[in-house]
Amino acid sequence: MPETVVDDLTPSPSRPQPSRRRALPTLVTLLVAAAIVGVLVKTLGDATLVFHEVDAAVELRSELGDGRFRVVGTPLPGLVETMVDGESAVVFTLCSSGTFADVVHVGDPAELLQPGVPVVLQGAWTVGSVPGIAGLVAPADDGWHLRTDHMVVKHDNDYRVEEGRQADIESCSATG
Amino acid sequence: MTETMATNGTTTGSRGSRVLGAATLLGLATLLLFAFGLTEADIRLHPTTGEEIGQFDAVRLLYLHVPLAVFTYVAFVLCAFASAGYLIRRTPWFDTMAHAAAEVGTVFCGLVLVTGSIWGRPVWNTWWEWGDVRLMTTLVLFLMFTGYLALRRATVDPRAAARRGAVVALVAVLDLPLVNRSVEWWENRTLHQKSTLGELKIQDLTLFTLMLGFLVFGLVLAWLLLHRFRVGWLEREDAEHGIAADIAERRAAIDEGDVDAAVGEGT
Repeated sequence: MPETVVDDLTPSPSRPQPSRRRALPTLVTLLVAAAIVGVLVKTLGDATLVFHEVDAAVELRSELGDGRFRVVGTPLPGLVETMVDGESAVVFTLCSSGTFADVVHVGDPAELLQPGVPVVLQGAWTVGSVPGIAGLVAPADDGWHLRTDHMVVKHDNDYRVEEGRQADIESCSATG
Repeated sequence: MTETMATNGTTTGSRGSRVLGAATLLGLATLLLFAFGLTEADIRLHPTTGEEIGQFDAVRLLYLHVPLAVFTYVAFVLCAFASAGYLIRRTPWFDTMAHAAAEVGTVFCGLVLVTGSIWGRPVWNTWWEWGDVRLMTTLVLFLMFTGYLALRRATVDPRAAARRGAVVALVAVLDLPLVNRSVEWWENRTLHQKSTLGELKIQDLTLFTLMLGFLVFGLVLAWLLLHRFRVGWLEREDAEHGIAADIAERRAAIDEGDVDAAVGEGT
């Protein structure tokens, strides 16, 4: 039997073992790092994710061209349900800071699409008036409209509950 | 703390923690009663048409989502302080606390994302909105602390795990101000509204229920943190006890002249 050294019998700290047991957490760590990078790239790299106010979208109309962008504004009373190119659509007027834009939203609108509650729409400027314009209370009717297909609602931070309380709504006009 | 755990052997419970647990359960039941029963739905009238608008019953998720988000911040800030403490003092108490706070904070953060998503579906018309800065920064926060937990498991050396974890926690917590201030700094890149409490746009029973939510989720955090810390401490003691027992066993073998047994050969 070979001579054995027994001077230090204290168990040494465990050494990292290249085992499968440690491979999984390492893999998870790498996947998480990749996911973080992916999220950042997706978030920061997409210019369409900025919301333009209606007045800015109107001002930038020639610059935006037929490119897709997001616009935020408050729908005025008077939502007209109609059909456009064989698809269900809702037509309304969007406003912010006293500027109006007519909208044709193709597809299902948001469940809580309500006059006075701001929405964020994604779509592009299109030449021409909107169908069913006679049903709108205060249409922009400027020869352009927003053709959109993605709608989300941007609710406010007001949680005061009171029987019969009127909502605080940005006033775009007497109809607003 | 150490004394309490030592006297209890292998349990993480104590009289204090049981009282805290009972208070937490009672608080949760009371909160659910107020949130889903006694408070009013969000219904307002349009000033010109008189039409009912608002979030209706979906607003009730406010009482869960907001307190969870606030105590996610608390847990991760606690983790950062404990991580800094570990890097300065190198004591196991700080590391165990950092690990416990990160784990509980990650659970809270996951629940924030889930409750937010459930709330967003009826109110925003979407489960998830890529590009919303509040959502994205919160997701990054969740992923970073998930990575923290995975990283700690990626090595068997507890000191390396503690050191690496502490550094990652201190980097990850830098995302917290971005999460919190995103609605102010990038107002046109988020569906989230600005702070309600900051502008005092909440009152009466709604405000009371939200405050109750803060109290209850504070208790939930404290209870989970207490037990997770004690579990971590017991694991550490168990590992140290195992090493001490090995040393004693091998020394005894040497005393008996059994060198093979002492060095672990032939076993």
